[in-house]
Amino acid sequence: MTAHGVVTVAMAAVAVAGALMAVGFRNIFHNILGFALAMLGVAGVFLSLGADFVAAVFILVYVGAVAIAMVYAVMLSQPLDQPFVPRSTAKIGAAAAVALLVAGALWHVMAGAAWHEEAWGQTATAAQVGRRFLTDYVLAFELISVLLVVAMMGAVMVARRTGAEGRGRW
Amino acid sequence: MSITGYLTVALLLFGIGLYGLIARRSLVAMLIAIELMLAGISINIIALTRLVGRDPAVGQVVVLILAGVAAAETAIALSLFVAIHRSAHAIDVEKLSELRR
Repeated sequence: MTAHGVVTVAMAAVAVAGALMAVGFRNIFHNILGFALAMLGVAGVFLSLGADFVAAVFILVYVGAVAIAMVYAVMLSQPLDQPFVPRSTAKIGAAAAVALLVAGALWHVMAGAAWHEEAWGQTATAAQVGRRFLTDYVLAFELISVLLVVAMMGAVMVARRTGAEGRGRW
Repeated sequence: MSITGYLTVALLLFGIGLYGLIARRSLVAMLIAIELMLAGISINIIALTRLVGRDPAVGQVVVLILAGVAAAETAIALSLFVAIHRSAHAIDVEKLSELRR
């Protein structure tokens, strides 16, 4: 196996281990840390796919912004001092059964397909991605910026204190 | 790594996320699970456009748009969780059953 392959498998293992931490642990802070680790691994997989700009964006957006916002939301809402009530094993088992069923069906389709791997190997540079964004996909690009502004203002309005107890405060 | 290797990683992330979305009760943990599923989908899109697309840049454009929409979704969802906690004093989905009554 080449060095590239070893690094790719290591990054994929980091992503999957982080994902298992993100759903497996009980403490919500450990879940968020596992989520950040999983996103670092996913960014590494993107690097090995030749999508370096997407990898940088994933680290900035998910590890940098989304994970921090989640920590803030947990600190504002999660009652960490309350005792943990275990969930019934029937519900956990049903969730695992559904996930395994869907994953098995997808695996069946994936393993049965005949992939033409001779086209594999072409990558796009950040310059090509940027040119696409400002020519063919400029409308989607602008709509995303409008969507982010609307979402940011909406988030502030929804989370703001209302009523007598919070009038004039944020 | 071959195309099936990348698709397997994406499949594992999607399956783990689906399990977490159904099994967890905390709204924040469910949001984390959705983000994991979206990450798996993003790996799939980039790997498949590298294989079958005429221009691999288009796959990266689609994934960047997806990341933008997911960021907006996260901002709205987290502010909703804070507002829900303020009115119901819980973000456990089994306690938030107002609509069932």
